[in-house]
Amino acid sequence: MVLLDNSNFILRLEKIANAAKKDSSFTVTFKRYDGNNKPVPRAGRPPLPKPDVYTCLVRAQCKSQKISTVVRQEDVPTMMGMYSQFMKSKMDGLKRVKKVKSKAKATKG
Amino acid sequence: MVFVKNWEDFEIAVENMYMANPQNCRYTMKYVHSKGHILLKMTDNVKCVQYKAENMPDLKKIEKITSNLVGHMASKE
Repeated sequence: MVLLDNSNFILRLEKIANAAKKDSSFTVTFKRYDGNNKPVPRAGRPPLPKPDVYTCLVRAQCKSQKISTVVRQEDVPTMMGMYSQFMKSKMDGLKRVKKVKSKAKATKG
Repeated sequence: MVFVKNWEDFEIAVENMYMANPQNCRYTMKYVHSKGHILLKMTDNVKCVQYKAENMPDLKKIEKITSNLVGHMASKE
């Protein structure tokens, strides 16, 4: 697992998406992250410290290649802008739905 | 592993599940180009809801729900 910063993550994700285009797939996971990398202690032990501000952990995987990034609260708008751009450019294999033009109206008018 | 047919139902289920247990929820999307679909999955290790998106207009909705969720995840509460 490689921890990258936000913009590098998107760049690597684009590469992964290109590689996965032919015959494989990739996954992206979003999860709340509280900054602790330890498991939750057993009952009776002091609990892990709680952060003031939570962050969001984003992980991506294709086959055995794994990358991740942490998105802070102030970076959310820029990150989501980049991510939606990525979705538009790389997730383009979906079916296009044709808009039904009302021909009857056109001929009448 | 239930696939929800209706987008609105999925959206509501995702929101409720996240609000009930934000710390354990994870939201995954899997894109398969050769099959032309996106699989969305929300789970809190107990329950799990899924949605299969195959049409282009779904992409806009996915974008919206994703940025909504990330906004919730990276916040003070």
